[in-house]
This record gives sequence, structure tokens and C-alpha cells, in this order.
Amino acid sequence: MAEAINKVCVIGAGVMGAGIAAQAANAGVPVLLLDIVPKEGADRDAIAKGAVARMLKTEPAPFMSKAAARLIESGNIDDHLERVAECDWIVEAVVERPDVKQALYARLETLKRPGAAVSSNTSTIPLAKLIEGRSDQFKRDFLITHFFNPPRYMRLIEIVTGPATDAGVAAKVEDFVDRMMGKRIVRAKDTPGFIANRIGVYWLSTAVNAAMDQGLSVEEADQIGGRPMGVPKTGIFGLIDLVGLDLMPLLNASLSATLPKDDPFFGTLRPAPLVEKMIAEGYTGRKGKGGFYRLDKRPDGSRAKLAIDLSSGEYRPERKPPPLPEGADRDLSALISAPGKTGAYAWAILGPVLSYAANLAGVADDIVVAIDDAMKLGYNWRYGPFELIDRLGPGKFAERLRTEGRPVPAILETAGDRPFYQVVDGKRRHLTIDGEYAEVVRREGVLLLEDVKLASEPLTKTASAALWDVGDGVVCLEFIGKMNALDDQVLATIQKGVALVKERYKALVIYNEADNFSAGANLGLAMFAVNIAAWSEIEKLVAGGQQAYKALKYAPFPVVGAPSGMALGGGCEILLHCDAVQAHAETYMGLVECGVGLVPGWGGNGELLDRLGKAPRAPKGPMPAVAKAFELISTAQVAKSAAEAREMGYLRPTDAITMNRDRLLADAKAKALALVEGYAPPEKPVFQLPGASGRAALANAVHDFGLRGLATPYDVVVSARLAEVLTGGEADLVDTVTEDDLLRLERREFLAAVKDARTQARVEHMLETGKPLRN
Amino acid sequence: MTNTVIAGYVRSPFHFAGKGALAHVRPDDLAAQVIRGLLEKTKVNPAEIEDIVLGCAFPEGEQGLNVARLVGLLADLPISVGGMTVNRFCGSSMSAIHIAHGQIQIGAGDAFICAGLESMSRVPMGGYNPLPNPELAARSKAYISMGETAENVARQYQITRAEQEAFAVESQKKAAVAQASGKLADEIIPIATKAGLVAEDGTLRPDTSAEGLAGLNPAFATDGTVTAGTSSPLTDGASAVLVTSEAFAKSHGLQILAKIRSVAVSGCAPEVMGLGPIEASQKALKRAGIGVGDLDVVEVNEAFASQAIACIRDLGLKPDTINIDGGAIAIGHPLGATGARIVGKAAALLGRQGGRYALATQCIGGGQGIATVLERA
Repeated sequence: MAEAINKVCVIGAGVMGAGIAAQAANAGVPVLLLDIVPKEGADRDAIAKGAVARMLKTEPAPFMSKAAARLIESGNIDDHLERVAECDWIVEAVVERPDVKQALYARLETLKRPGAAVSSNTSTIPLAKLIEGRSDQFKRDFLITHFFNPPRYMRLIEIVTGPATDAGVAAKVEDFVDRMMGKRIVRAKDTPGFIANRIGVYWLSTAVNAAMDQGLSVEEADQIGGRPMGVPKTGIFGLIDLVGLDLMPLLNASLSATLPKDDPFFGTLRPAPLVEKMIAEGYTGRKGKGGFYRLDKRPDGSRAKLAIDLSSGEYRPERKPPPLPEGADRDLSALISAPGKTGAYAWAILGPVLSYAANLAGVADDIVVAIDDAMKLGYNWRYGPFELIDRLGPGKFAERLRTEGRPVPAILETAGDRPFYQVVDGKRRHLTIDGEYAEVVRREGVLLLEDVKLASEPLTKTASAALWDVGDGVVCLEFIGKMNALDDQVLATIQKGVALVKERYKALVIYNEADNFSAGANLGLAMFAVNIAAWSEIEKLVAGGQQAYKALKYAPFPVVGAPSGMALGGGCEILLHCDAVQAHAETYMGLVECGVGLVPGWGGNGELLDRLGKAPRAPKGPMPAVAKAFELISTAQVAKSAAEAREMGYLRPTDAITMNRDRLLADAKAKALALVEGYAPPEKPVFQLPGASGRAALANAVHDFGLRGLATPYDVVVSARLAEVLTGGEADLVDTVTEDDLLRLERREFLAAVKDARTQARVEHMLETGKPLRN
Repeated sequence: MTNTVIAGYVRSPFHFAGKGALAHVRPDDLAAQVIRGLLEKTKVNPAEIEDIVLGCAFPEGEQGLNVARLVGLLADLPISVGGMTVNRFCGSSMSAIHIAHGQIQIGAGDAFICAGLESMSRVPMGGYNPLPNPELAARSKAYISMGETAENVARQYQITRAEQEAFAVESQKKAAVAQASGKLADEIIPIATKAGLVAEDGTLRPDTSAEGLAGLNPAFATDGTVTAGTSSPLTDGASAVLVTSEAFAKSHGLQILAKIRSVAVSGCAPEVMGLGPIEASQKALKRAGIGVGDLDVVEVNEAFASQAIACIRDLGLKPDTINIDGGAIAIGHPLGATGARIVGKAAALLGRQGGRYALATQCIGGGQGIATVLERA
């Protein structure tokens, strides 16, 4: 393993620099954040301090916890630059001007320790230019680390090294950004705009130009250029609104200054009076007064969505276009050959953009994989350009270019009819520039279920869950249903998995590679049962869930939960039953059942009570754990990071956090295997609960919430049901309440809740609108 | 009859709970430093102290067990000095003074330290294990939250939001003037903390304006009139007064601030607990044989502007006598420490202002009032 980075200095506290500093702090490493001394005011550190203060109020939050924010020390480059000597890595994120950067490096050169890495977050300036005039030692220590905005959430980093860059220094930085900052590395060559922005800017400009040329509305353009192409649902114009209209001219200008003059990029440049006018009037996108779309408040407080008319420049109510022709929403070939403007517009984007991407041979080694990763992680495309070409058929795509008299990129000629990706012997391979196939190589220590699936058959599989052998005696339980919703088939698979691991394996890991671990039980199915009054079926589902989760908990082997994304309701409860959790840093856990008028029904109440009661420094007595669990569940609090889940008590101090999504399965597997030796299932907990006295205290709190308008009339009812469970029902302070007693209470209150028409109204509203009903 | 006198008054600086400069100080350490300060200021011989009577509203955790005894040991008082913890919620340390007064009257000692403490940072209001009696909770408002009582009083007395805000602005203004002219520093014992010496109140908001307050949301009820700006803040602090017999004070050359003329407590409905001072004060005044018109100094605790206004109105108090250096809305209200603060303050103000009689009174959660009448020595 490379030498460790124990302290980081970030110079430049703008949006990017501050965000990079925050992510390094999220990794638990102290950070020195420096900016210039402000022209006015007494506090010489005010700019860096202000950036940290602003980030504490930003949503989505750059910090994963308040503790992370405390790891940043703010300063200024006049008084504190010599303190770079304390740092193992210095990130420069100052203004994009070569002279400013070079002058800073000249100062750093004399102050930093030899071997301490220096990297620039430049998005456009070539490395060769940056290191002009520097010492050999400095050149050895220098590289480019190009993060994407926002640095916490965008998983891509482009890394550029120069011919003089020391391999050990680069390895040190790569190891840190990969394992500690959670980024997937794309190694780019020292070419203008590197990979993601170069293709991304070309893509957005091409799509905007084509929409104007072909007379499409912004809604039509986003319908065609969004989801069917695997682009985020914002589509083209929605995405520009998100990143900011004013960013486009800046990116255009910097690429214009550095790209060779024959680059097709220059063909996308044209006067944009509408966009200029919008920027001048403050319509810079979502951060401003609105952009191509705008939300207006109606007099009654509701919001009206408006869209701009691209020809007149006037806002008008949003107009949903009719659905795309059959098949065009799913099949990319059908999309580009669809009649009318659908096919014309789709091709006007995909033809040039995929060609442009395919022509970028030489921007990276492993060009196909690097370009696809860059666009998937840097621009949130679901498929990379070469994966899109594979979906169209490389031969057919080239043929159409040829027919239209357009140049065919060399790599397409090389590919011929062969796909850019293929699977041979369970290994994914990609086409190289030489026309050979090479195995897609993961970074050391990365294990992906995606790869396991290519190489093997599931041990068992239903429509909602599957079991996989992930090696070394470890089985992986994967949820695969829609939204990873949990249902009777998942529960059956759990029971099957418990039996299987007991018989032939060592440990179980619960993990999947969807965006969200699981948003909980399948409410649609539950509502179906409610509508036909199949109460016994619902009761069976509740009891079945309790049994399956307890089977995991008391299985004679270790069970490790490995969530990423949302783990809500039943998806949170299953994690509470695991021996240990290895959570991706971006895990959002919570028991949210009360939001739909229910109470946790799969053992979550007892598990949360147990761990809150055992939390270090928890006050003694019957109420603290009950009150805390009540607060978390009744207000459906969801942790906004794994670190926060730990602060809130959903995760134990012994649970671990993985920063890099790609390393989650490997880490979870290692954690499970570490528990195998001498494993004994946990003892059943017993509880001492306050009974009716505790409920009286909780009712007081709910009453006050009601007065403050924070609890609706039905919230009061729901929280009373929750209180009934958490305080142990009829239990008295001196009684002992068992886990089974709590499960019984949980079932009783869940059934009472689900039979209540007001709960049913909440569930239906959630299923229809995705938003909670506040009845 | 023996006279009981107030022969010294000090307190810690007051700071916001949670974010203030005293959040990291244990309440027992805080009170011990204040008591050391009282001894140094009064020069009383600690060996002659009979007992520490110490008020605390939530005596658990770090302010639990018999914290009065522990504070005495922490303050290195002679082993012979006793310690007793008193709880009457916000009236705790005023009760401590009343108890000492009674002990002196029955000949059970000559010198007492009557103190109060509360760390609202470190022990939550309501305690760690609130366990109301369900039957009582069902049939009474015994467990009602303080904010709701403030709303009830505002409604019952038709006290508008603007009136409450004007009162709060006035309280802040008086406290700011007192702080600026060093009148608060006289009573404050600087407290040693890990981050350094804390010598000033951190609770004052001298730039409070009616316009600023008008922008706040109601704190306790969506349709309510009480805001954070018209409520006393959650506060960390400790206070102490030296209570002795007049003979003891004179023979030991102590500076007598005031004599205790009368005391009283009285119950009222829990849902309007803020009205408690009315009857308690009337009882105490009657016992002292004087009327409201005889009062030159009044300390009426400002748990909330609404209840303070209601009490002032019903008692007919003269505006220029009330909370001359500002009240709890500006200075803060560390529950168990407030009673000793306002009795000590009233005694000190009698000396500073001239005048003969003073009243210190406060409301108490659960529905009570407590009052003390002092006479200038």
C-alpha cells in the first residue's frame, strides 16, 4: 500500500476547493483550507471561514457530519502558507489562470516537504503549462486531480500525470481519493478538457442547437434527450438549469482557448442571444430565478411550472408532450429511427455526440472504459457512449454515418460489427484501439456483484431477491424487485439463504448494486391486500417478516448488511438485525413507517430500543432509549449519511463505513469473514420499559408538537400506537419485557394502523404522488 | 425576634445552554466556584457556616445525588459544613433562602450559604426519565409545558404580542445599560473553564428591537403570541447569597444588604403557573404589613413576558421599580439559580437605589408562586 496521507491542504475556498476540503474531512482527515486575505474586514481568514459556514447550510450537504466540519481549519495564504509543510497532499483550486497558479506553485515549492503531493483541480489548463519553470522535485510531486461538482456526490475524478510525475506520489494520491474520498478514478491524458467535460459540453451544445434548429420545445427535447438515452430525467435543458446557464459560456470559452482549431467543438459555437439575455436577467437556472424551466408561486401557495419558449423567449405554462412512439422510449434503435421529430432529434444528438466521443482516441488508456466511466460518473449517464453504440449496434451506427456522408471514427472502423464490450468466460472485456479485446480491470480490492453475475449463476432467484456465491464461503443476498421493495418472496429467499449458509457456507452479506438498498416493504402489494380486506394475509406478512429477520439475527453464522443509498422502513429494519453493518458513506437510513400512518412491523422497534439502550454514554433509566427511539421513529427521521446514521444511533460504533461504493462488497465480505472465527449468535435482549407512565410523557411531547403545528391530528394517533409498542404496552417499570413481547405488540399495533382508513389514505397518497399525506 | 439578613450576593455569568461558554462546565463545579467567590467577597469565616442549602430544579446526573454536599466538598469548605438540596423548580433557591431564614428563627444556626445551580446544557429540562402519573396526567394539567402556560396567560389577560415584545425590548435595554456601566460585573464571579476565564454574561442581546422580534415565529403554538424573543432563554448558571442572623453579621463585620421581612408561597392552577407571583406576593406583603405602594425595588422573574406583564398588572407594581437591571428575558433563567439571584439582586438594589422595601417574586412550573419581602438595613 502507498504511503498514507494524514493531512490535506486545500488552497482556494471557492465552490470546488471548499467541496474538496469537505470531502477530505468526511474521510476523517484534518484539512487546512486557505484562501486569500479579503480586501476588507478585520478577519484575515474570513474567506475560508465563510466557505465552511456556507457549506454547513448548503443542501445537499457537503459535510457528512458536523464532526467532519470541525476537521477543517481555516486560514489565509499570506499568514499560513508555510503550514503546507504539515501536509502530505496540497490541492490547488484557485482561479483558472495559469499565471496565478504558477505564482502559487513557486511559493509552494520552497515551503512544502519534498514528496508531499501537489495537485491542481484545473479543468482546462494543461499540466505541461502548469509546471513550467518548476524544480524537478516539484514536477515529480505534481499531478492534476479533477473533481466534479459537488465533490461529495459526484463519484468521478479525472487524474492526469505528467512524464515527470513520480509513480509513488501518484499512487499515494490515487489511493487516497479512491479509498478515503470514495472516487472512481479515470486516468486521462493531458488533453484539453480531459474527458467528461469535453464530451459533456459538446453534447449539451449539440442538443441545444438541434432543439432550436428543429423547432422543438424544451419539454419535447428533454423527453427525447433524457430518459430514453439513459440521461438523468432532467434531460438536456433541465440539466443546464441544474448546473447553471452561466457555466456554459465559461466552459465554452476555456475549451475554445485550448482545443485544436479543427475540433468539431467549434462547430457548436454560435451566438446565443436567448441564453445571454436569460443570464443577464438573472435566469441562471435553479440557483437563480429559474432557467429554461421556472417555478412560480400561485396566489394559493401552490407552485406552477413554466417553461421558456425557445423562439419567443417568453415563459408559458409547462406543456407535457404526448408519449413517445411505442418502443422508442426503451429501444435506442427504435428511438433514432422513429418518425417525425422524435427520430430526427434523437439522431441529431446521438450521431454527432457518439462520433465525437469515439474520436477521442488518445485521451486515455483503456479509452472505451475510461470514456464510459467518465460520462456515467461525471454526467450521470446511465450508459457510456460506447455502451450506447453497442445498444445501436456498432456496425449499424457506422453504416448510418457512412450513408449520410459523415466521417466514421477510426475506432468504429476497427470494431466493424463487433461490440465494444463482450463477456467471455464470465469476464467482461472491452475493445482496444488495436482491435483486440482486453479484460475490464477493476482496481485492486474492488469486488462488484455485477462481475460476479457475469461469471456465475445465482444459488437461487425469485422475482424479488437472489442469492449469489461471492467467494470464500460468503453468500450475498440481493434484492432485485422494483425499487428493491421487500415482499413475501424476499422473506422466503431470506429463509432459504439462512438454511443454505448454515449447511454449506460461512457468512451472509446483504448487498445490492441498485441506486437504493431498499425503500422498504412493497406498499402497493399491501394496499391490494387491504382493499380486499385480506387481514390474515397482512398479518402473515408481518409475522413472516419478523420471523425472517430474527432468523438472520439468530443464525449460527455472521450476517453483515452493506447498504448504499436509501435504506428505509423494512430496508432499515433488516440492517438493524445484522451482526454488523458495513455502510457506504452515502447511506440514508431511517424508520419512516409513521409517515404513511404505520409503525415499524418487522422488529425495528425492539432492535432500535436495544441499541439505543446500549449506546455508550446513554443516560440510565427506563426513558432515555424509549424517548430517543420515539423521536426518531415518530418524526420519520432519515440520516443523511452513514456518519449521521451512527450519530443518530441507527448504526453502532462497531459498524463500519466504506467511502468508495465500488469497495463496499469487498469490505462487507471481509467484515463478515472476520466474524466467522468463534462466532456465536447474539443473546436475546430483555427490556425494562416504562409502560403507561412513559406513554404519558410521550403524549405530553406530542401534544406540544401539535400546538406548534408539527404534528397533525392523525400523527397524534399514529404516535400513540408507536408509544404503545416502545413503552412495552401493559408492562410496568419493574417487569421484564422480552423481545417476543415486543414483536407481539408491534404486530398488534401494525394491524390496528393498517386497518385505519386514515393510514390507507396516507399509503394511497404516497403510492400515487410519492409524497406524504399530512392528514 | 431575631432578624435574618442578606449579607452577600454573587453569581456566575449566565450563558445560553448548549452553545454558551459554560456548556462544558459541570454544574457542581460551577456552583463551587461561585461559593468560593462568595466567601472571598464577604470574608466570612467558612468554619462558622452551618449549612449549604442549594436549589436545583432537575437534581439528577451531574447535579444529582445530594449535590449541595458535593458542592461544599468541591469548594473545599470545612468538613463540618452541611449540605441540603432543595427542589421547588424555579423557586428552588428562593426556597433555600426561606429555609435558612426559618432555621435562623428556630435557633438552628447563624450563617447559611443559600445557593442555586442549573446546567440546562447538561441536564435536560424535564430530566432524563420523565414518568408522569398517567392518572394525574389524564385529569389535570400538572405536566403542562411552560410555553403553553405562557400562551394561556397571554390569552386570559389579552396581552398582545406587541406588548410582550415591547416588554422584552425594555428588559434587554435595561440589562445592556447595566452591563455597560459595570453594574452586573459587581455581582459576577468569573468562572474558570477549559477555554479560559468567563467573566461576562453571554445571554444579553443589546440590539434587540421591536422590529426584529416581530419577525420571529411563535415558539409554542402556531396561532400563539409567545416567541423565543419574549421568553427567557435556556441558561447555564449558578448563584449564591450569604444568609445570617443580624447579630452574627454585626459581630463579624459583614456588610448587611437587607433584612428579610416576610416570605410566602402559594399554589395556583398549573395551566396558568405564570400567575403564581400574584397571590404569593400579596401574602408576603400582607405578612410584612406593607402595600405595593411601599415598594421601591421589585424583582419579578421574567420566565415569559406574558406572565410578567400579567403579574405586574394585577399587583399594580410601579414601572420604575421593576427589574431595574433587566430581567430573565435578557439575563437568562437557569432554573434552580434564579431565586437566589433575584433575592440577592433586590437586596443589592435597595442599597444602590436607596428606598426601603423590596420584593422578589417568581412563578413556578406546576402552578406556584413564591415571594420574599426585604427591608433595607
